[in-house]
Amino acid sequence: MARTLAMFTDTSVCIGCRACEVACKQWNQLPAETPVWTGGYQAQSHFTDKTWRHVKFIEKKDERNEPKWLLMSDVCKHCNNAGCLEACPTGAIYRTPFGTVDISQDICNGCRYCVSACPFGVVAFNHGTGRVNKCSFCVDRTSEGMQTACAKTCPTKSIEFGYRDELAAKAKKRLAALRAQGVKEANLYGEDENGPLGGLNAFFLLMDKPEVYGLPVEPRLPQKPIFKDAGLSAGTAILVGLGAIVAFRQRGGGDNGGEE
Amino acid sequence: MPNLQSPHWPLLIDIYFFLVGLAGGAFMAAGVADIFGSRKDRVVTKVGTYLALLAMLPGPLFLIIDLGMPSRFLHMLMVPKAATTIGMSAINIGPFHIKPYSPMNMGAWALLGFGVCAFIVALTLYLEDKGGTINLAPVRGAFGAIGVALAFFVAAYPGQLLSATAQPFWRNARPLGALFLAIGASTGMATIALILSLRGPEVSGSLAKVRRAYTIAVVLQALALIAVFMAVARGPFWSASRAGLLTSGSYSLAFWVGAVGIGLLAPLILEVRDGFFQGYRQGRGMVAVASLLILVGGFLTKYVMFAVGQG
Repeated sequence: MARTLAMFTDTSVCIGCRACEVACKQWNQLPAETPVWTGGYQAQSHFTDKTWRHVKFIEKKDERNEPKWLLMSDVCKHCNNAGCLEACPTGAIYRTPFGTVDISQDICNGCRYCVSACPFGVVAFNHGTGRVNKCSFCVDRTSEGMQTACAKTCPTKSIEFGYRDELAAKAKKRLAALRAQGVKEANLYGEDENGPLGGLNAFFLLMDKPEVYGLPVEPRLPQKPIFKDAGLSAGTAILVGLGAIVAFRQRGGGDNGGEE
Repeated sequence: MPNLQSPHWPLLIDIYFFLVGLAGGAFMAAGVADIFGSRKDRVVTKVGTYLALLAMLPGPLFLIIDLGMPSRFLHMLMVPKAATTIGMSAINIGPFHIKPYSPMNMGAWALLGFGVCAFIVALTLYLEDKGGTINLAPVRGAFGAIGVALAFFVAAYPGQLLSATAQPFWRNARPLGALFLAIGASTGMATIALILSLRGPEVSGSLAKVRRAYTIAVVLQALALIAVFMAVARGPFWSASRAGLLTSGSYSLAFWVGAVGIGLLAPLILEVRDGFFQGYRQGRGMVAVASLLILVGGFLTKYVMFAVGQG
């Protein structure tokens, strides 16, 4: 396996220009979509099958009660332990040699189980093709040694592309610098490989708590407790079976016709 | 609440979940009656096996219709030239793949195996009735035993499939598999009872046994339902609060009247009244009504559990 690739999105320098969305659509040949009214500048309420980079515009009040923006270019997290990948019954979702997660359109049969399994609501169903779509980490670019389209185009270097270990070190440095400037709320999301989901290969520096951005506080692999659940089911199966055995073995009263 | 996307599975999937559970429950009862019952209980084995086969048959069709790419239904089990890095639990054998972490994949395999077993057991029963001279009991025993294990699996896996997602309510409702299994058992056996209730007095003894068995399953169903709520309550607020849709929200009528009233309380009252504790000495009583209530209540329980997570 090649060295793991990653994207680091530093929301503290995002200016909300949406160039990443446009670059993503251009490279991946995704059509434009009619914007929905979200109450602000945000074009879509969330990812769609045609919007794989999605800039969030979150309005908040700061400590002086002045309105302020929280901007965040959101993307598929390419989790190290990915719910969509484990859920996929067909093997269409696979891990690339770079450690990212991609969906093979030649295999996907449109069951939509991955849609329900993603803790970040990234994977979306395409009613036109009958298959699911999400950020491919520009697999056709990265496999040729190029960086992702969104990172390439970002004018403020809010999105950076590179090797995971290098970017993680960079992210920690940036966090320390912000903290030193007194930005107490700044935090890293998904950078820790010992953290939830084994770390995210698209990780973020956030300027507020994750839930403010609509991110789960403690994302978890949905399949993790599955064998424990299976134990519960097996226990119930044994009880149901025993109940039936007792009922069918009973003598006397129940058997009006009597045993032969 | 984190931003999530719903799979938007249609009513067809509800119906599939219901039918496959019913098939599993019926086949389990057929197997138990075959091994532990008297000779008279052969009618339970026959009705249960044929019912299981009939109830599971439309399942694959429903699942295929729901796919975005129906022609690729075989990809659930096999893909020529597949990638090998398809999950931490995945086992690739030639073109086939088994993914223990994907209940949908495991369910597809189990459904295939269950269908084969149910068909073979049904065939042995049919051939015996035709008056063949070959002793088919060992064949039936072998496929029946594997089939009963798979019957439990197909009844439970839809629940586990739902709880292995990131959706609110489902993700914390870890005993959903247990609940779906209990509903499968109660509805499967209630259908057997309903069919037997149309027969003459010669099946009364077997009918009483089936009633006793499904009543136990209904009690387990009630316990599993309570366990689901206890598990959901331990989850984060955004997930647990969905339970409010059941207790006082848009699904409260279907939940309280359907799942609890029709599905649990009414049939339990009828069974006790008809003599569950006295061995059903008074005769058939309200067996047809009780089994219909169990069927309607079981469907509605699965329906609301499905709907409340999908939002």
